[in-house]
Amino acid sequence: MKRIRDFINNADIRRFRFWLQLLFFVLFIYGGYFAVNLGNSIPVFSCGYDKAVGGMCYFLPLQHQLARPLDVLLSAASISVLIGFVTFLLWFIVFNKAWCGYACPLGTMQDWITGLRKKMGIRYSTYTQPQFDTLKKIKYIMLAIVILAPMGVGMGLLGGEWRTAFCEICPSRMITPLFVGDVSQWSLDFSTKTAMILTTLGLIFTGLFLIGSFFKKRFFCFFCPMSAMHYIFSDGALLKLKKDGDKCTKCGDCYNVCDMQIKDIADDVKSTNILRDDCIFCMKCVAACPEDDALHVDILNMKLFTSTKGGFAKRMEMDRLEKKDD
Amino acid sequence: MVNFIKRDKNDIYAKPIIGFFFKNQNFLLSLKIAVSALFVYALYFGFAHTLKENTFTTAVFWGIFWSLFMVTTLPTFGRIFCGICPHGFMGKYITKYGLKKTMPKWMQNRYIGVMLLVFGWWGVYYMFPGLFRTPQGTAILFTVMTLIAFVIYFLYKDMSYCKYICPIGTFTRAYSKLSFTWLGTYKSACDECRTFECATACPYNLKPFTFDNRNSMTDCTLCMDCSSACEAVSFKFKKPSFSLFSKLQVLKVEVWAFILILASISVSMSFHHGIGRSNAADIMIWSKTAEFLKNYIDFGSIDAVGLFAFIYALIFTISAALIGMFIAAKILKKDFNTTFYDLGYSYAPLFILGSIAHSLETFFLKGYEHIAEGFAYGFGFTLDVAPLANRNDSWLHLFGLLKWVAIVWALIILYKRVKLLNVPKLRKIVAFPFAASLIIFFLSIDIYTGYIFKTYGKASSGNHGVGEKLFQSVPAEAATIVFKEPAAKDSIYFSDTNPSAEKKAYNGEHSHGGAGDRVAVKELWPVFEDAMGKKNCLSAISAELYLLDANLSTMQATASKSAGCKSVSFKMPDNGYYNLFYVDKKIQDNTLHVKTAKYEFMRFNHSNDAVYNKEKMAAHTIAEAPFDILRVREEDETFYHNLYSGENLRVQAVLNTKPIEGATITLSTKTGWSKSLKTDKEGVATFALIEDYFPKWNEFNKRYKNEFLLHASYVKEEKGSVNDVTYEKIKYDVTYPSYYHPNSARYRSYAYGLSAALFTIIVTGFAIYMHRARRKIPFKEVSFHEKD
Repeated sequence: MKRIRDFINNADIRRFRFWLQLLFFVLFIYGGYFAVNLGNSIPVFSCGYDKAVGGMCYFLPLQHQLARPLDVLLSAASISVLIGFVTFLLWFIVFNKAWCGYACPLGTMQDWITGLRKKMGIRYSTYTQPQFDTLKKIKYIMLAIVILAPMGVGMGLLGGEWRTAFCEICPSRMITPLFVGDVSQWSLDFSTKTAMILTTLGLIFTGLFLIGSFFKKRFFCFFCPMSAMHYIFSDGALLKLKKDGDKCTKCGDCYNVCDMQIKDIADDVKSTNILRDDCIFCMKCVAACPEDDALHVDILNMKLFTSTKGGFAKRMEMDRLEKKDD
Repeated sequence: MVNFIKRDKNDIYAKPIIGFFFKNQNFLLSLKIAVSALFVYALYFGFAHTLKENTFTTAVFWGIFWSLFMVTTLPTFGRIFCGICPHGFMGKYITKYGLKKTMPKWMQNRYIGVMLLVFGWWGVYYMFPGLFRTPQGTAILFTVMTLIAFVIYFLYKDMSYCKYICPIGTFTRAYSKLSFTWLGTYKSACDECRTFECATACPYNLKPFTFDNRNSMTDCTLCMDCSSACEAVSFKFKKPSFSLFSKLQVLKVEVWAFILILASISVSMSFHHGIGRSNAADIMIWSKTAEFLKNYIDFGSIDAVGLFAFIYALIFTISAALIGMFIAAKILKKDFNTTFYDLGYSYAPLFILGSIAHSLETFFLKGYEHIAEGFAYGFGFTLDVAPLANRNDSWLHLFGLLKWVAIVWALIILYKRVKLLNVPKLRKIVAFPFAASLIIFFLSIDIYTGYIFKTYGKASSGNHGVGEKLFQSVPAEAATIVFKEPAAKDSIYFSDTNPSAEKKAYNGEHSHGGAGDRVAVKELWPVFEDAMGKKNCLSAISAELYLLDANLSTMQATASKSAGCKSVSFKMPDNGYYNLFYVDKKIQDNTLHVKTAKYEFMRFNHSNDAVYNKEKMAAHTIAEAPFDILRVREEDETFYHNLYSGENLRVQAVLNTKPIEGATITLSTKTGWSKSLKTDKEGVATFALIEDYFPKWNEFNKRYKNEFLLHASYVKEEKGSVNDVTYEKIKYDVTYPSYYHPNSARYRSYAYGLSAALFTIIVTGFAIYMHRARRKIPFKEVSFHEKD
């Protein structure tokens, strides 16, 4: 038991994550070719516009469901909405936001773009704390669009083009189908003014996505409504990111490795549940923590992966550094 | 007492406009006087004008006071209705000069008020509907209540009427716990206070400085008298129903008020007015009971069905609450009383939010009109306003959302209150659904009512709709149509619209799996066009009808039996192509005319499990149709297949299931364009679908259906006879209607799309580069300096 635990705690989380991300990427983007279909309540941006999708992003069906006429939506027929939602919750609850850090194809693409930037030797950008605090609210506005725009259609207040308003402006709609050779989404729709504005915004956001994720790690995740939706239910999830404030020395290692620039991970020594709405649960902070048990990932209150001095030393290749000093 | 205090941000008294409404004593006094004057005037008016024309009295009492104002303010701002209540306002002065006796113990019982409301008002309401809806009835009711109130105010101290006797006293006290306002005090100031001005000023003899610690505002009616006595009194915005999230002193009658009021209003109304207006009303238990007992008891003018709906609602609701809580208490290993009353507070949002939805809906539909015109009548001028909404406005359904908010809110309160219990976690989780029994009951009644309406339908009028329905199903149009007979040269084709109604029939094309078990039905009308191009339907179908379903089995189809335009309907349970055939054989001028009309329709319910089986989805003909047109499938077709302008349409003519060369196929669009081709060796003719939809930009519809009709004909020299009538040749005709959408190239542009993305990339990239370059400059200077 102890050996297994040591093995996990000393693991090279980066390599593990790379391969897992690749696996999920193939599963979600090319799953259709292997007749894999995980349904359409998947809590990540595995875009349904991809013809070979192996499990569809929950927002596409959700928006279609919410766009039903309101009297239908609020009647017993909405049981199917409920079923979709419960399926989404069941998927989500097991892995919590680790869906973002390990499974989301759009997140994986951003990590690869970041890798490209690293190879090119260009440094990354960060936000200042006030910028961070302002920008993080955008994801809730996006979530409001996901939910309210289709309902507006159902109420008859908005035209039919608003049915999937978020998908229209979501960069995943342009980028994901590219991987199966489909470029049909890269066009402006001039059929109505609304469609024109939404698709233009979509392509502008796609441009921003590509350039943004090149300079800023996980650029889009900051504005992702799925991340906001996750956070609402993250208290009930089985997998948890926990912090023991007493053991924290506020060294700031965790903050420095954090792709999402979450300050609380280093600063907050009071809360035990340290998962924040921006978190993508990549567990880099746990791997980077030099204190025993200061940060740990729990499943059902059992420690799954915890920060250890040994693990930190191994990952930092301390032994090699010491040899060098000799 | 303090004269000045620094108020918190969330203190309503410190807010600019809203603070004035709650704090300014002159304003409050004039408001209370105005409301009392309105009350007295409406009473007087009710006695003076007893006729139905007097909409004023009813507008004041049933339009504004109850239920609109009361239910919308209670779960929001709290008991502000009590704050301006004419009884309370006048009672304060009566008590001041009254006898100030202590109320006898037996009267100090809050159940008196609750029972008066539940049985005295709602019980009577269901037994004699409309009794108090008349102006006179209203006036008498409120005058009697006022007299009782004044006598009690005069006799007893501390506004005991409001606390114990007032029918809505306990009701408002209980539901105000959901509000987001809180009257409290600033602790820092109160700690040093020895004079207690707030308590002295309170006509109810309450102690506002204890409210925060007790986590209860007890009987406070928000009359705001204390806030004029001392500045340390605060009136704050808080989280809605926050006091229910922590421990509080349980008042049993409040929980009973939640349950009884839910039963007597929401549940009874669902039974009596909801299900009671469906076609299934007569088979419901309350109707049956009333029917049964009518044989033994003479109910007179009592509405027995209403009475039993009310009684059954009480029985069902109370037992749902008791049984659920009993099981929950057993699981939690707690005493039943503690569990029941502690967790019972979670029932609070159920009635009141649903009631808000209903009140607002009524207000927009007719209440506004009633109130405005009633006031106009009351003050002697005439006014004619239109209602703010009509029943078909879909945004009205938005209020239906409140019912779901109520359920979620109730579950949250229950969760928080279960959390407070000192019990192992597992027991809490198991007990939760049982403790939520009443909430689930409330939800299931809602779903059940919807189910009843869906299955049995709405009664056309009152409760006796079943008989009348028969007469309504005969379409009124039937009498007015003049039918024409198709001539031999007219070709028949299927139309998906009724030519006499020109209204689109429902087809299950876009159900999105919403109503899972409802089978989509397609209705088609065989029509022919006259010389003017007008569609004419048939009054009788003599031809044979066949249906080839998605599973490739052929069956006979039947025409509609009702008078009027003949139509053919078929069910489409599976995903795939459904083909309807109309085969007519006639001999005329030594020629056998074989006329076939074909309609091909793809049914797809957007389900995930649908598999596109190429074999099944290919074009098939049937042996019963001698001559047929098949649309040849392309390689990459899916369930989402559509025809678009600019594409090629390949059609194949088949004679006796074999492809035939040399048949003439004509494609004619609705816009008048047509083209004829001869089929090649494989029997195939290829048409390019032309673009002829050129509207203005703002009228452009990308889902526009450019309808066209394919017509194939073939003449075969063959002699024969049918029923001893000989023919020299056979003329085959077949029609196939379909439509195509404008090509996406018409309205989609890759160039602009790519430009938008590239432009963003370049501009942003350049901006970031510039930003970085400019930030480097001071750094360079420093490094240059160091090198020196």
